[in-house]
Amino acid sequence: MRTIRTTAVLAFLALPLLLPTGALAAAAEGKKAKSIDELAKMYDSTGCKQCHEEIYKEWEKSLHARSIYGTGRTAATIKTTVTVGLMGWKHSGVKKPEDVENRHLAICTKCHLPQLADATDDVAKEIVKNVNIFMDPKSSDDAKNKAEQQLTKISINCLVCHQRNAITHKWVDGFPQKNEVFGSKEGSHPDPAHPVMKKSPIMSESILCGQCHGLGPNFELENPSQCGTLYGSYLWAYRAEGGQESCQECHMRKSKLGHNMQSYNDLNMGKAAVDFRVETLGYIWRDKAKMIPQTLVKIEMINRAGHAIPDG
Amino acid sequence: MPIPQQLGRGDKMGRGPYEKSGIIRDNGLPPNRPVLEQFEIPFPAEFVKKDGKDVTNILDYDMTVDIELIYEPFGDKDTGITWHKVTKKITLEKGGV
Repeated sequence: MRTIRTTAVLAFLALPLLLPTGALAAAAEGKKAKSIDELAKMYDSTGCKQCHEEIYKEWEKSLHARSIYGTGRTAATIKTTVTVGLMGWKHSGVKKPEDVENRHLAICTKCHLPQLADATDDVAKEIVKNVNIFMDPKSSDDAKNKAEQQLTKISINCLVCHQRNAITHKWVDGFPQKNEVFGSKEGSHPDPAHPVMKKSPIMSESILCGQCHGLGPNFELENPSQCGTLYGSYLWAYRAEGGQESCQECHMRKSKLGHNMQSYNDLNMGKAAVDFRVETLGYIWRDKAKMIPQTLVKIEMINRAGHAIPDG
Repeated sequence: MPIPQQLGRGDKMGRGPYEKSGIIRDNGLPPNRPVLEQFEIPFPAEFVKKDGKDVTNILDYDMTVDIELIYEPFGDKDTGITWHKVTKKITLEKGGV
């Protein structure tokens, strides 16, 4: 009896060591996150900071780090998506905010939080609840702060680009596994949660960014939406006309912004994006017998970005 | 910007991303193609008749023009970001026939 009990205790002690952690464990068991906290834990990338501190700090400054909250405007748009869109449409199945499911919120989260696909509808409801608290002028500052904290727990973090979305052609390159991280090299990776390092064939390619930065209407949705169209513009107005640079080339390397990949908010990016030349000419125009003094202002702009400006 | 078509039909611009599907037109700057804008700005002047003839009295022969390229992410100048600013001084010649 004693022997059996000891064996059982040892078995329980050994179990956590054998099981993978975090996202891997959840994936292995096919579990879905049931709350924002669980989803944040499933995609926890805070451990990356230990070895990639500078990159992590760059990312923290980016809008990717607050993809649901944004500048506040993203949260506001999620609210109107629910109240004006979903609740206003006859066949959406949403009569009140509590009716929102993942498939509804996918209008936004396909790009702003793709990992929502690994969560239950409870998380969609929790996001909507927090957005409503954050946007409600009657909410106390404390309630707003708490809602903001919840919304910023989940984002486009390291594991979204370097794992979940690191492979576009999964039949060719394989499905990303939860114990893997993808970058520019193959080998081992000194992170117990992600011990395998693999080379992503698209990590430096525009298609990586194109997964979210827009071709046009997302026809895979029951009710297509369209946020950005940058990748479509990149393909058909830039590459098709001879442009050769990638998103990463301008937004990460040339700009020296690294993982703080800004666009219009960064003044240097803005200046570099458009050649701006102005000529003026003062003269007196003769309108029949009347002499009209005037200035001609001629402006030539050449967009040097790899896509149309602005997008939206 | 690419002016989004409301729900992929008709001639109306969509509101939020949930309504956008398609593009009615794009009035933004396409990549690698020059876009020209011209403005004609009158100098301050008064127009009078003298001995039955039109006479123009130019009130100021100098003009300073500020030309700014402002990115307005939310469609208003309050949130606009100035990418380029050029100041030009223009002076009209005095005299002439």
